[in-house]
Amino acid sequence: MIVDGFFIAGVIICALSVVLSVVATILRDHPDDYAIISVAAVEVFLIVYGIAAAVRQAGGETISGEAWEFWGYVATALFVPVVAFAWAITDKTRWSNAVLAAVGLTVFVMLYRMEQIWDGATLV
Amino acid sequence: MNAPATQRPNSRQAGLGRIIIAVYGIFAISSTARAGYQVLTKFGEAPLAYALSAVAAIIYIIATIALASKKPGSWKVSFLAVLIELIGVIVVGILSFALPQDFAHPAVWSHFGQGYGYIPLVLPLIGLWWLNRHREAEADS
Repeated sequence: MIVDGFFIAGVIICALSVVLSVVATILRDHPDDYAIISVAAVEVFLIVYGIAAAVRQAGGETISGEAWEFWGYVATALFVPVVAFAWAITDKTRWSNAVLAAVGLTVFVMLYRMEQIWDGATLV
Repeated sequence: MNAPATQRPNSRQAGLGRIIIAVYGIFAISSTARAGYQVLTKFGEAPLAYALSAVAAIIYIIATIALASKKPGSWKVSFLAVLIELIGVIVVGILSFALPQDFAHPAVWSHFGQGYGYIPLVLPLIGLWWLNRHREAEADS
């Protein structure tokens, strides 16, 4: 897998979101604004990532792995922050921050897999 | 940090409780799918391990529904289901080390849930602790 700018940006955004949300789980007894904003940032990143991937593919770049698998990951990952946000607005307790923390971890793993598929690496 | 003000007398389904229900739900779905596949396609290879997989799947389904239910009596059902899960994961965990020939094929509870990051072992402990802290309000029944 080639570590490119998209991957580095995604890792930084996901890591920041996880750290903010874990701190919020410890300090806040309600869903924290910054934790929610950080999860929104993860969603924005995924949208940009998806559009960029579509543009690159349309411009002639090919996905080395299975295209349907790559886009399956993109589509599924886009739901993750949305579900966590819905969770946070319907459960106003400390623990919604823990759910928000799971977003960054989940999206990181999925992004890692998307990059592997893009570059054609086999599943470890 | 004192006891959070958001904790109402019967908030078993809120906060951490909701996370516990979600994790049980994920286990109910994934273990049912996996056990169903194992039992239907290769039951003969390891009948004991796969039968226990099916039992585990049923326990997870009962636990998920009972934990999420607000009906009177659901507390007792969920406590029993989670307790059976704990006993099951310990018994199957010991058996899988004692009788490795019968547990050559992986199941949810074999080796104390190793294949699932030991979540099957930790989850019932958290569940029992949570249920103990959120007993059913007497006025409900």
